[in-house]
Amino acid sequence: MFRRVAITGLGVVSPIGNSIEELFSSLYAGKSGIRALPEPLSKSSQCSIGAVVDLPPRDDLPKMRLLDRVSQLTLAAASQAVADAGIDFAAEDRDRCGVAVGTGMGGAKTTDEGYYTLYWERSDRIAPFTVIRAMTNAAGASLGLEYALCGPNLTYSTACSSSAVSLGEAAGKIRTGDVDVMLAGGSEAPLTPGVLRAWEAMRTLAQVDDNEPSASCRPFAATRSGLVLGEGAAFLVLESWEHALSRGASIHAELIGYGLTTDTEHITRPTIAGQAKAMRSALRSAGCAPDQIDYINAHGTATVQNDRVETLAIKEVFGEYARRLPVSSTKSTHGHLLGAAGALEFMICVGCLERGWIPPTMHLNAPDPACDLDYVAEGPRSVTPLRVAMSNSFAFGGTNAVLIAQRFEK
Amino acid sequence: MNTLETVQGMLVDEFKLPADRLVPEAKLEDLGVDSLNQIDLIFKLEDRFNLKIKDDARKLVTIQDVVGYIDELVAQQQTRSDHSPSA
Repeated sequence: MFRRVAITGLGVVSPIGNSIEELFSSLYAGKSGIRALPEPLSKSSQCSIGAVVDLPPRDDLPKMRLLDRVSQLTLAAASQAVADAGIDFAAEDRDRCGVAVGTGMGGAKTTDEGYYTLYWERSDRIAPFTVIRAMTNAAGASLGLEYALCGPNLTYSTACSSSAVSLGEAAGKIRTGDVDVMLAGGSEAPLTPGVLRAWEAMRTLAQVDDNEPSASCRPFAATRSGLVLGEGAAFLVLESWEHALSRGASIHAELIGYGLTTDTEHITRPTIAGQAKAMRSALRSAGCAPDQIDYINAHGTATVQNDRVETLAIKEVFGEYARRLPVSSTKSTHGHLLGAAGALEFMICVGCLERGWIPPTMHLNAPDPACDLDYVAEGPRSVTPLRVAMSNSFAFGGTNAVLIAQRFEK
Repeated sequence: MNTLETVQGMLVDEFKLPADRLVPEAKLEDLGVDSLNQIDLIFKLEDRFNLKIKDDARKLVTIQDVVGYIDELVAQQQTRSDHSPSA
């Protein structure tokens, strides 16, 4: 007998808000977090914009010196989730509490700084903490240490679907009874010269809209030109239904579905079949018919390839119902958080179920004729009923991950 | 500024330790500067005093140990440069 998975805590630091409330007021207002990068970052590539989190680096505590920005963002988001869940880990069986983190690039800033020292300054003075700050599981380790969680501590790195995978896998561990509680989500801090340049070299970054830089990411639009890199972290407290009820936790929503497939045709080019299979698989695990989905938060990167393929995949899975199914890409305002994107966007789905409205796809004045779904271009929309929401995350490397949340009926 | 004051200043600035606890006989471990942080401390001392501290550096337990060791290395370096052939 599989156990149900309750979502009891939400925490976020993002380019459009450093709390759930701030995030949703930005989503409602269509406020964009995309802006000119500060110098010297803006000089490091042709792409002078990014989606930045307003959270200054912390060095006020000795332990922070051990943490790359990706881990600092992780702690900031996760501490909100833990407080929101009202969970006291000291009163828990810590062996049955774990951590799951999705991150694409880990401690990229630290790695970048190390290379700068070595190759540019031609110095051998690499900082002693480079390894423990940069290792891909550093963010997860920081959470394990912070809350003394002795169960599994896992890092998933599947590029842009990393944290959808971390949430899905964490939920699986709860479902099967391996653990009771998982602190799960994703974090990314890619705004460094080396990473920006690398993405630019892939020719996937958006051209800067000179009139309105904040409108440079335009998913599904005829004029879309690519993604805008963003930083941030989103963490959720997941726990078994019985566990949540027994400690009197308030439940935000239920994680009911998870689908995972892999494209094997090409390392970057997505396939309709792979994405469709992931959505169908998630529907099957949720026990939902397609027309029970009330909203999709799309992967919607604003690359030419993704938005067309995702549109076709949605049509394939949902058939005629796709015409009536609202789909939006919130990357239009918070940018692409890579390994943190899946968790942030799933969290947005959860928040929508609680609030009864869905956020728009911004900057979509002229849709691509090949993108002909209802992308909620006009602004935030009240939806009745808003009971079940799907979040899509598709990645370079081919990992397609889809999550489904259901509103908690009190 | 003597070596003790320099080391105390570094512990305040970099390790955020309260100045009133940084007496010479204070143990690094007691101050929270564990073996991992000591690696970072050594790195910063090397930069500050322009020294090379070998991996087999003797066990540094107290602040005074650090200060004594630095003074010793600085003196050795001084002696070496005094004896180096001049152009």
